[in-house]
Amino acid sequence: MAVAHHEGAAVAPVGPVPTVVRPWPDPYLDPETHEAEGDLMVMNLGPQHPSTHGVFRVKLWLDGEVCIKAVPYPGYLHRGVEKLCEKLSYVQIPPIVDKNDYVSPFINELAVCMAFEALNAVEPPRRSQYLRTLGAEMQRVASHLLWLGTFGMDMGGALGGGASVFMHCFRERETILDCYELWTGSRFHYNTLTVGGNRHDVPAGFAELVKRTYRAIRDRAHEYDAMLVDNAIFRARTVGVGRVDAQLAMELGVSGPILRASGVDWDLRRDQPYAAYGEVQLNVPVRSGGDCLARYEVRMAELLESIRIVLDLVDGIPEGPIAALKPVKLPGAFKGKAGQAYVAVESPRGELGTWVIADGSDKPYRCKIRPPSYHAMSLLPYLAPGSNLSDIIVTLGSLDPILGEVDR
Amino acid sequence: MAVDERGQAFTHPVYAFLEKLPGISLGLTTADQLLTWGAANSLFIFPMATSCCGIEFMSASSGRFDLDQIGSIPRGTPRQCDVMVIAGTITVKMAPRVKKLWDQMPEPKWAIAMGSCAISGDFYRDIYSVVPGVDTFMPIDVYVPGCPPNPDQLFEGIRRLQEKIRLKRAGEWTEPELRPDTPGFKVPSLPRVGDPARDASLDEAQLDAVMNLDPGGMLRRSEG
Repeated sequence: MAVAHHEGAAVAPVGPVPTVVRPWPDPYLDPETHEAEGDLMVMNLGPQHPSTHGVFRVKLWLDGEVCIKAVPYPGYLHRGVEKLCEKLSYVQIPPIVDKNDYVSPFINELAVCMAFEALNAVEPPRRSQYLRTLGAEMQRVASHLLWLGTFGMDMGGALGGGASVFMHCFRERETILDCYELWTGSRFHYNTLTVGGNRHDVPAGFAELVKRTYRAIRDRAHEYDAMLVDNAIFRARTVGVGRVDAQLAMELGVSGPILRASGVDWDLRRDQPYAAYGEVQLNVPVRSGGDCLARYEVRMAELLESIRIVLDLVDGIPEGPIAALKPVKLPGAFKGKAGQAYVAVESPRGELGTWVIADGSDKPYRCKIRPPSYHAMSLLPYLAPGSNLSDIIVTLGSLDPILGEVDR
Repeated sequence: MAVDERGQAFTHPVYAFLEKLPGISLGLTTADQLLTWGAANSLFIFPMATSCCGIEFMSASSGRFDLDQIGSIPRGTPRQCDVMVIAGTITVKMAPRVKKLWDQMPEPKWAIAMGSCAISGDFYRDIYSVVPGVDTFMPIDVYVPGCPPNPDQLFEGIRRLQEKIRLKRAGEWTEPELRPDTPGFKVPSLPRVGDPARDASLDEAQLDAVMNLDPGGMLRRSEG
């Protein structure tokens, strides 16, 4: 092939495209070319299915009970949030992004607010940083509890009626929502963070309530852990199921507990500290199994670790103001600087990034949100082939997708 | 006079024959009261949970709020359910699925729109991919406002629905008076389906987009 070039321009050597040999098969291969014994059955899982964690649809080609090929079709909850962010001013965006990952809204707010602060070179005061860290860790516990409850539901009747774990976890989650209701006035969708700090200071007696709540959760979490990992059925359904290769996970951009369960020691809270994480002692749990049990263990260890951080932090919050800027009364009163910024935080599902490009007006020019669940969901076509239909449900549950942030 | 849940009187030859029997009206009234009592107090709920309101619905069905205490349990299939609770944003891609599930539910059936996204689309209503309110394509009995509404508010909505069922079956239901339009109220940019201000080509384009979105052709209906 002839390559046109200018006289004197540096020409890159053109050679054959290197072929990369990967140990896993192509998940999007044509089922017609696949030599199956019998006829393949095409089955739709979703978009309305109790175990798809929202409105997710995956088309499965089944040979009996064994999946040959799986093609996901996201987009059933596409709400155009990134387009909406271009229409709204900086002050109006945090309550919108709450609805993206509706299981951990606090961390969503944190991600966009930190991006806007990086863009405008605003440094929140120390008390605000500590409150943000405290809120993020409290939210991580609530998020992992909801995951544990729905994961127990995905196991079905294997765990003493199926809904037992769900009911237990929601009981604990309600107590966390009580703490947030006292703090911000809302059970979730708090709208408590803003550019340059927090809106709401913690009320009197908050530390005692948090300590009482999280100590109770810590004791019960040990109970649930003992109840699940010693269960023979739980082990039979999770050990060796949905094994994720570390190289595959990194190539697909997967992060968070899924990556750590595959043996990669990577946590943004420790490796790129933000808010007050630089001053917090943090242990990152890592497992090398890569299967559903390893992901369960990583999340369970993270839950206990987050409870420990909350109990450590809640007494040591420094005094001072909670916002660096005066609160704006009108949405358009805050004018951002021109430029761009990318900030990533560690959400309960992995790296939640916000890339904002601004042109100096009161609205961002472009606001790209990098959801961790979207990358986790792209693992499914690689994990599904060769496994049973019931194992696909468990694998999907262990990936912990939130469709609000997958489709945005 | 017997009325069905749409408020229309229904006649049946058996019914006309039975009415002539002596003393049967007393028995029929008792049976009707029994049926109404049963229908209003054992509402099986089909959670059409798509987003944040679905999490609050899960909270409502779990231990603290306990949906079972009023005889309602969530079921996973539309064929066993009486009430569809639409909890969350419904997109243009999802709307035909919701309609299909609604059509699969057996009569008598009711629907609750939970949360401002299901009611009007809320702040997403100007977005190209969001349906501005589920009442554009299916009937809704009770609206529960909030973003998201607390489980207590969902309980209040279910109580209102029970009251509505009792009144409708007794033939005493009057449609609530609509609030007059506020002057200067911002009309949603996308006119509702059935609105004379809505361009007919918009309907066609939206329908075409919905039908052809699916590569599997699951929704493609036979022509003619």
